[in-house]
Amino acid sequence: MRRPGRPSTSKLVVFAVLAFFLLWWVPFSHVLPGWVPLGLGTYRTYQASMIAMWAIVALGLNILTGYNGQISLGHGAFVAVGGYTAAILMVDYGWPFPLTIILGGIIAGTLGFLIGIPALRLTGPYLAIATLGLALATPQILKKYDGLTHGTQGINVRTEVREQVDVLADFMDDVFGIHLNNDQWIYFLALFIALLMTVLALNIVRSRIGRAFVAIRDSEIAAQAMGISVPRYKTMAFAISAFYGGIAGGTYAQVVGYVSPESFNFLLSINFLTTIVVGGLASILGSVLGAAGLIVVPELPGLVGFIPGAGMPAELSWAFYGAALILVMIFAPYGLAGLFHRLIRVRPAKVLESLSTAYSRSAEAIRRPPASPGQTGAGPEDRSSENHPDAER
Amino acid sequence: MEEFLQQMVTGLATGSVYGLLALAIVLIYRSTSVLNFAQGEMAMFTTFAAWTMLHWGHYWIVFPLVLLMAAAIGGFIELVIIRRVEGAPILNIIIVTLGLFAILNNVATWRWGGIPKGFPAPPEIQVTGVKFFGEGALDIGPTVVSYHDLTILVFAVGIMAALYLFFQYTPLGLAMRATAQNPIASRLMGIRVGRMLAVGWALSAAVGAVAGMLIAHLILLQPPMMMGVLLYAFAAAVLGGLDSPVGAIVGGLIIGITENLVGTYTPQDILGPDMKLTVTLIIIVLVLLVRPTGIFGRRTLRRV
Repeated sequence: MRRPGRPSTSKLVVFAVLAFFLLWWVPFSHVLPGWVPLGLGTYRTYQASMIAMWAIVALGLNILTGYNGQISLGHGAFVAVGGYTAAILMVDYGWPFPLTIILGGIIAGTLGFLIGIPALRLTGPYLAIATLGLALATPQILKKYDGLTHGTQGINVRTEVREQVDVLADFMDDVFGIHLNNDQWIYFLALFIALLMTVLALNIVRSRIGRAFVAIRDSEIAAQAMGISVPRYKTMAFAISAFYGGIAGGTYAQVVGYVSPESFNFLLSINFLTTIVVGGLASILGSVLGAAGLIVVPELPGLVGFIPGAGMPAELSWAFYGAALILVMIFAPYGLAGLFHRLIRVRPAKVLESLSTAYSRSAEAIRRPPASPGQTGAGPEDRSSENHPDAER
Repeated sequence: MEEFLQQMVTGLATGSVYGLLALAIVLIYRSTSVLNFAQGEMAMFTTFAAWTMLHWGHYWIVFPLVLLMAAAIGGFIELVIIRRVEGAPILNIIIVTLGLFAILNNVATWRWGGIPKGFPAPPEIQVTGVKFFGEGALDIGPTVVSYHDLTILVFAVGIMAALYLFFQYTPLGLAMRATAQNPIASRLMGIRVGRMLAVGWALSAAVGAVAGMLIAHLILLQPPMMMGVLLYAFAAAVLGGLDSPVGAIVGGLIIGITENLVGTYTPQDILGPDMKLTVTLIIIVLVLLVRPTGIFGRRTLRRV
């Protein structure tokens, strides 16, 4: 929740989102010409698009887990619903992709609402494992009912996506003279959807609904006493969150161009949860940072040469990622967003404080003979650093 | 009828392995409220180490050594990593165990490679002409049972009994129960709570190691081998109640049997073996809806 006197997070978030989508590759890429991501190779452009897709899921999951306190390890299921809705409608029925993404979101949202009802009975680890069951069942269900889902082989949407995006590319080329290739347009579409969903998330968490979510998370009984309908808002959180998953799934189908049962295995769902905890729970900015981190960090060992001279770069990239997870949790328990806020907010305050203590010390020194050491307390210093992350949790 | 019995016994055996791993999960959960996602990978890692050690020594010499090593690894993880996040929000600790998961899995793949390896069953022992352990099948009248399935059952029962005796009748077991129930009061009574938690992790890692070595004979030894087992173990632990060791074993057995029966006796065109996991999970969720803290789980009362 917003407190007076805090810098507007919405600006920060939008700024950070843009900065991340546009600049994340800078330290890693030696190809610099032109404007990002136009100077990027196809793979980097694809990765940037994937960050956008992950950010959408993370936003939705953060609304459920971060803001409403319900753990879900089953979000891969909602992403699968969105992805398959888009793929089936485009390939088998020739729908245009924007409609399929929206419809995928709505279907996933409805499913989320339905799952939110039994979820009312469960809490904590029990809910986590029950939703993990959902993630496990997803690939099996997708394989079994192959009349609709094309079974194990999956659905290839690449041609349909290319055709449709080409129409857009030609139009932009003819009318505005913007030359971008297919991948780049897909990236900008994904980015556009991600930004739209970010703005929507910002508005949800600051609305009456978002405050109700937080109140329920902090104390269901207190929230109930204030007249908040707990079941209503908890199922609503599930529905909204699943809607985000569905939209992300649709985006996934466009970006990857292929959906299969194994694309949506349970590890995907676990990674979604990792993303938001590492990024920062109950933080919009954190969702985006987490998504970027998830894609970028496993790449680092290969890029910087993990343990120079030891000759084991990319093979141990997941161990490196695991170690990064543990270190973030030990040293930045509020995730990357908490770290970010601490860096940008505490620094100036600390500088001011040290200046003012220096001033009062010197003033004291002038007034009377040397004061005993340790009198000028370090009191307020610590408080300011704690202030922020707690405010949102 | 024969097929039914056959399915029941197979279900009991695999269910015991799920139960053992679930027991390992419960041991950690009830003392530290940590859902250890790395439990399966710890077991996989120690099983790989056992595989290497089997090149040097006999099974029954390697076996206790592996348990000791697993205990050392478990204690080490608690002391060095988990202790650093003690008191952090549950989700943070879950993420730390997921980090461990990634590290153990990746290091095992890097060190031992991804090619599946055969892992021996415990070799047979003859006690007064009766054969224990080993391979082959035993005819028990109406049906035939594999020796390894029996071995698994024996181990599961033995470990349960040993743990029961340990927790009920030794000072250390009492101290550990006290720690699980009320850490603050235990600390005031002079129990080294931190040490108890480390012992809990060590114990749990050892139990997991047994599960790993037993299942490795059935499904080949390879880095991702415990993932499926871990998920069943979670389901078993939740079904039985996360704070109940008995519940873990019972939950494991129920899941093992259900899974086998669903695979055999449901209509093939809409359900059948491909959907046994899904159906099992649906059954678990239905049970949880009636008893939200599992079959044996205690309902915690919260003060407002």
